[in-house]
Amino acid sequence: MLSGIAAPAPALDFTAEEERRILRHGPWPPALLPDPSNRVSGKPAAIAFGRALFFEPRLSTSGAVSCATCHRPDRTWTDGLPRSRGQRIVDRNAPGLFNLGFNRWFGWDGAQDSLWAQNLRPLLDAREMGVGPGGAARLVRSDRRLSCGYRRAFGAAPGADDARIFVDLGKALAAFLETRVTGRAPFDDFRDALARGDAAGRARYPAAAKRGLRLFVGRGNCTFCHFGPAFTNGEFADAGVPHFVEPGRVDPGRHGGIRKLRRSPYTLLGRFNDDARRSTAAKTRHVRLRQSNFGEFRVPGLRNVALTAPYMHAGSHETLADVARHYSTIDEERLHAAGERILRRLDLSARQRADLVAFLETLTEKEPRRQSVEKTGNAVCR
Amino acid sequence: MARWRLGGPVLAAALVLAVGQAAACPRPEGWTGGASIAGETWTAWWRSEPAPIPVGAHFSIRFHLCGPPVGRVGVRGWMPDHRHGMNYRPAVTLDGLSGKAEGLMFHMPGRWQLILHVRGAAGRDKLTAETVPE
Ligand code: HEC
Ligand code: HEC
Repeated sequence: MLSGIAAPAPALDFTAEEERRILRHGPWPPALLPDPSNRVSGKPAAIAFGRALFFEPRLSTSGAVSCATCHRPDRTWTDGLPRSRGQRIVDRNAPGLFNLGFNRWFGWDGAQDSLWAQNLRPLLDAREMGVGPGGAARLVRSDRRLSCGYRRAFGAAPGADDARIFVDLGKALAAFLETRVTGRAPFDDFRDALARGDAAGRARYPAAAKRGLRLFVGRGNCTFCHFGPAFTNGEFADAGVPHFVEPGRVDPGRHGGIRKLRRSPYTLLGRFNDDARRSTAAKTRHVRLRQSNFGEFRVPGLRNVALTAPYMHAGSHETLADVARHYSTIDEERLHAAGERILRRLDLSARQRADLVAFLETLTEKEPRRQSVEKTGNAVCR
Repeated sequence: MARWRLGGPVLAAALVLAVGQAAACPRPEGWTGGASIAGETWTAWWRSEPAPIPVGAHFSIRFHLCGPPVGRVGVRGWMPDHRHGMNYRPAVTLDGLSGKAEGLMFHMPGRWQLILHVRGAAGRDKLTAETVPE
């Protein structure tokens, strides 16, 4: 072949059923609607204020840790560590912060039912930032720039109710983080070419990625959990990853998450939900606690996954090749989800594992989407 | 099983069921879509809102039963190929033979069973609909 001209792949790459499954992983990006539980969702002044808060170390008791310590913009909004370190080390791996507006639950255990509630968690946890409602409210009231940012975002000066100011900080942070949607990836071009019946567009997708994709939607059963445009069904599963934090202490995963949710004052069923109709609270009202939730973790989305090593809830897997090996050799006896059978030991060859990785690498955005926050510069107080 | 040791009355009931499968059940008035499912004692019409059932989003169902009076209805989802149910517990409200279940979610694509567990003075019944969310 002449260089630069790829050999056209045979027209019938995928069966009709495989095609149907592939198409469900798009289109990308989906429409993002404002969050009705957050009255400043989508508001430019709140996005700008949230951005300032994200980089604010005075929201930690030591004055040295900000959100960006563990969610570094230059590292795909994570930290590259197996388990994050703020004021002390925590139990889990920091997820990259993008595509959050599509989540149903937040945190690996889904202990939070909204993005704004999730943003409060590090402010409450002394291992992370730990400033707490009183400390955070004092800072916002006393600092000229922050109180000005608050006023522009919420339309009133910070009041006397510490808890309300505290939750509002979570909401401004949410307005900022929601804007972070990943850009289109090579997979999206392939998927759309498939949808259009565009053979040339389809042929541009690498053969190894196609083989990996076939495993993903086929024998691997990956698509059942890593479902939809964000490659997660938003729910929880036991993927056979050990969950000992240290000898003698386990991470209860989803079981602990539901129990925390039920004790939290910051849920969609509580007084801080700005939506009187509670239109997004059905999940919180109906969620069910079962013994099998023990050791389940949230199914992570896979967009940009090649950029967010290490992997799994406690960073136990260093590379995507390690993850492929995990699914290939998974110990079915270890899966404690009683009787459930989605995951099976796949016994993949070295080439098949490489194919799976090649596919996962095509989920990396080609160019980061421009952040709308860049257009909101004049909303920031100086 | 213990139930069968009760003898006479249970056997008689079983015979009645064998001959007279659950009563015919017309589509409830005002319904356009929906499907019917028969158990041993009751038959039901049910439909989802929204229809068709979406994958990974909350939906509710309305149902209407034909048969003897009903005391309680439980609604359950089950994925037979994977052997798991739903992560959410639906809330069922019943008004005579009609009812509504809210807060259901089928969190994976594929074949699901929607199961109505019906209880009344006439006994217990299990009505199973096969469905594939879209
Ligand atoms: C000590 C490091 C650390 C700091 C500081 C930190 N985070 Fe995190 N972040 C994590 C870890 C670890 C998780 C996973 C937590 C879990 O599952 O329990 C997480 C999870 C999240 C999530 C949930 C993502 C998802 O997909 O569910 C959001 C949102 C988030 N952090 C935002 C913030 C914000 C906003 C701040 C500052 C107020 C912050 N984080 C500060 C480490 C940190
Ligand atoms: C039963 C549901 C389920 C299936 C099927 C499944 N996964 Fe996962 N996946 C998960 C869960 C849950 C996690 C997180 C587990 C943990 O941290 O304990 C995960 C984690 C991952 C991660 C790490 C992502 C990160 O950011 O840490 C990758 C990559 C991944 N899965 C790929 C796959 C591939 C490829 C397949 C098919 C071979 C697959 N998964 C099948 C549920 C599933």
